[in-house]
Amino acid sequence: MRKERGLSRKELAEKIGVNFQTVGYLEREEYNPSLDLAFRICECFDLPIEFIFSTKPMKPLSEELLNLKRGV
Amino acid sequence: MNKTKHTRRFTVLINYISIVVILVLFYLVRFLGSSPMFLIFEIIPLITVVLSFRHAFVKTGIWKMTHASYEKLDEREMQVVFKAISISYSLFAITTLVIIYIFILSGLGQIDAVLAVCLLYIAHILPASIIAWNEKV
Repeated sequence: MRKERGLSRKELAEKIGVNFQTVGYLEREEYNPSLDLAFRICECFDLPIEFIFSTKPMKPLSEELLNLKRGV
Repeated sequence: MNKTKHTRRFTVLINYISIVVILVLFYLVRFLGSSPMFLIFEIIPLITVVLSFRHAFVKTGIWKMTHASYEKLDEREMQVVFKAISISYSLFAITTLVIIYIFILSGLGQIDAVLAVCLLYIAHILPASIIAWNEKV
């Protein structure tokens, strides 16, 4: 998602107010953010929270698109 | 385990081994009556302590992280530092108590300045060592 927006880890880190290494930890799913940080990330990407975070593993985008097309 | 973490763990070990060597050399001179000239050899572990400290803690930014004010840390860093400090608190308390008991029970007398300085140094580097050992900084 970060790469889609053409952001470097450092740029995203500055926007959400964390160290750039923390962005790496979040991307590798090695750190669960606080609710406050999760909302800041959502604000940065202008997306609802359920589009970025989930308690279940995210499905591949192709599968999501297919489900959307089938109306599942 | 990646190479950086492996190297960092190695330098942390070198740092602690060097401290032990410093103490062993000091007590060899003190209790076995070796020549005070023997203390010249203390320079080698002392240099190793400085170099490994620089490599494991300063270059990686861990030292800065453990000694920064909390306002300068983000939530993950705060969590990591708090965890390291709480582990090191108990580790240091146990180690110091064991050393004090050994000194009392073996009749070695009071803890001397060299051991006190080493313990003071360990108290400072312990949280950083725990982070260096566990985290992918």
